[in-house]
Amino acid sequence: MQLFSKSGPDAEASRTQVTKTPRWLRKAGVVAAAAAAVLALSACGGGSAAQSADGKVELRFSWWGSDKRAQVTQEAIKAFEAENPNIKIKPEYGDWSGYWDKLATQVAANDAPDIIQMDEKYITEYSSRGALLDLSKYDIDTSKLDEATLKAGQSDDGLTGIPAGINAATILANPAVFKAAGVALPDDATWTWEDFERISAEVTAKSPKGTYGAAAYGTDEASLGVWLRQNGKSLYTEDGKLGFEPADVAAWWAFLKQMSEGKAVPSASEVVEAEAAPLDQSGLATGKNGLAFWWSNQLPALEKAAGSELKVLRFPTKTGSAADAQLWYKASQFWSASSRTKHPEEVAKFINFLANDTKAGEALLADRGVYPNTDVREAISTKLTPADVKVVKFIDQIKNELGEAPAPPPKGAGAIQEIIKRYTSEVLFNRLSTDEAGKKAVDEMTSAISS
Amino acid sequence: MSAISELTSLSRRKGPKTAEEKKANGRDNKAAYIFLLPWLVGLVAITVGPMVMSLYLSFTDYNLIQAPEWVGLENFQRMFTDARLHNSLGVTFTYVLVGVPLQLAVALLIALVLDKGLRGLPFYRSIFYLPSLLGGSVAIAILWKQIFGTTGLVNQVLALGGIEGPGWISDPSTALGSIILLHVWTFGAPMIIFLAGLRQIPNMYYEAAEVDGATKLQKFWRITLPLLSPIIFFNLVLQIIGSFQSFTQAFIVSGGNGGPSDSTMFFTLYLYQKGFGQFDMGYASAMAWFLLVIIGAFTAINFIAAKYWVFYDD
Repeated sequence: MQLFSKSGPDAEASRTQVTKTPRWLRKAGVVAAAAAAVLALSACGGGSAAQSADGKVELRFSWWGSDKRAQVTQEAIKAFEAENPNIKIKPEYGDWSGYWDKLATQVAANDAPDIIQMDEKYITEYSSRGALLDLSKYDIDTSKLDEATLKAGQSDDGLTGIPAGINAATILANPAVFKAAGVALPDDATWTWEDFERISAEVTAKSPKGTYGAAAYGTDEASLGVWLRQNGKSLYTEDGKLGFEPADVAAWWAFLKQMSEGKAVPSASEVVEAEAAPLDQSGLATGKNGLAFWWSNQLPALEKAAGSELKVLRFPTKTGSAADAQLWYKASQFWSASSRTKHPEEVAKFINFLANDTKAGEALLADRGVYPNTDVREAISTKLTPADVKVVKFIDQIKNELGEAPAPPPKGAGAIQEIIKRYTSEVLFNRLSTDEAGKKAVDEMTSAISS
Repeated sequence: MSAISELTSLSRRKGPKTAEEKKANGRDNKAAYIFLLPWLVGLVAITVGPMVMSLYLSFTDYNLIQAPEWVGLENFQRMFTDARLHNSLGVTFTYVLVGVPLQLAVALLIALVLDKGLRGLPFYRSIFYLPSLLGGSVAIAILWKQIFGTTGLVNQVLALGGIEGPGWISDPSTALGSIILLHVWTFGAPMIIFLAGLRQIPNMYYEAAEVDGATKLQKFWRITLPLLSPIIFFNLVLQIIGSFQSFTQAFIVSGGNGGPSDSTMFFTLYLYQKGFGQFDMGYASAMAWFLLVIIGAFTAINFIAAKYWVFYDD
């Protein structure tokens, strides 16, 4: 078979041809090859020239989020550039899932963006390793920012994150699903977890096949955090350890399993599939779930995807009193800066603009949560959409019911969500008992945050 | 003639050279190296450089942000006690040991059918080859996810027959099977090579066998298979090496987490998660070298075993 043959008459012929090629042609070939090599080499070295010849400073700014976020953020950038003609902001944005892989690689390659949208799960990871700039050393006004969320960006490594918005863990309800099933919406000031289970099961029973009263929890740490806090525990302790025992998380899974078996929430397979769906194809947005667990700032995007109104609810409690819901204000995300940025002054100027300038507020509105700067929040209140207003109202409403601010996630906390997800499916598929899953999960989490 | 035997005989063909010839060779070589330069730069910068780097990193604790710290063999020792790594090895071995033989069997079967001198052969050949072009792509993996979902095409068809199918890719007991099926579906590349091999078998053997009254099955076992064995071997080696490294399908179908319950957590996927998700690049590098050793061992076993079943007709 001749597929891989390298000898033969053809090869001989081409060899003699090479020696007979005119000299000028050979020279031209050499030049072309050298040019190609130079091009290949120069392509490797790009991306380091931050200051162009005319004195303009270029800063790279990366964030994750939806198209809507990209749009409003670009508007904020434009407003900033109009005021600061010498600074150019180059946006880099993408999806949440790819964002962290990319950021880790960029930081490793010494090619981190100057301004980084940061999450609380990863901020300690990066700041404790010296990758983030201590912003307290630069000119950023923090006097008007919400104190609890500002504290979340503060650690032994300095102020490495300025809160971009205030969030709370919520349950969002799709009234259309309830109406179709003929079930009344729950009263979130008094409902208990038993109510949650009973109402959800009722909606499932009275709905077409494939529609469930509630989405399952167990796919992230927020719902576990609320559950633990209501039971007097917490996800993490102040000294960076796990704040709960295997039995606590086992009880959480036992209740989920009970709800799944009673069809209050979807079956194991459906839960796994729902995990992978993006926001606009989630069960809540497509009318397949009556209730679902989301952060408050995601309501506008979800309403847009659902094409109908949604309602924000507090988490259920053990006692039936909203005062025991143990919610908290979370910094939806942070503005952080790379410690290796060549232009820290300009970076600080931009972050200050995002955090404190009304013009930034007018562009960003409530996309990243309720504005942490109270003055800006006031100034933009008339421009908010009805969906945004709902979120702001909810955040105000729970102000006096909040529990203590949770301890910040320690280094390695980025791995916790994946562990929770994996053991949730082990439990739902009956591959592990809830006790075994609790033990194994706590072991894995402990080693993840202690390494 | 087989590809591999020809390549080995090629390297043996060396005769004495005159001074004149040597000089001409030197000139030719210089030009060749200059033409090769772009590729050589790529080889060093993109392949050899990173390989050397990863070998070094495999002996360090490296979190991507701070400088690597030398830890000796610790990463390799950790692999012995990492239960998730052992699970990922199990998943990968199942994928290779089930997927590759199945895929080659399908490829051979289709090649035999096409070799019968079908009318419109180029058309069918292209159609059957198409999945190979698409199979490793992200788009097909996403399509696969839709087809095998709880409300996907497969279950819709089953529902017509009154069967309620499981969530093929979201159930830990069937998820890996769905991905193996995707692999088998991409039988085009080995099929083309089988077809070429079948064309090389001289017709006279079959004619002689017919004269002796051999049945179709006998002709297949006694003539086709032995004469095709070098091609089977070639495909086997390539497919095993490729399958050990497969990543895209599992990454997309499982949404990047190897789920449900780690049932599609390929070795390469776990490596990726460790390195980029959990800031454990030293360990990930050690895993990569471990995979290289595994693939090397399998290839060596293949070559040793080949002595007993591969038949060269020259």
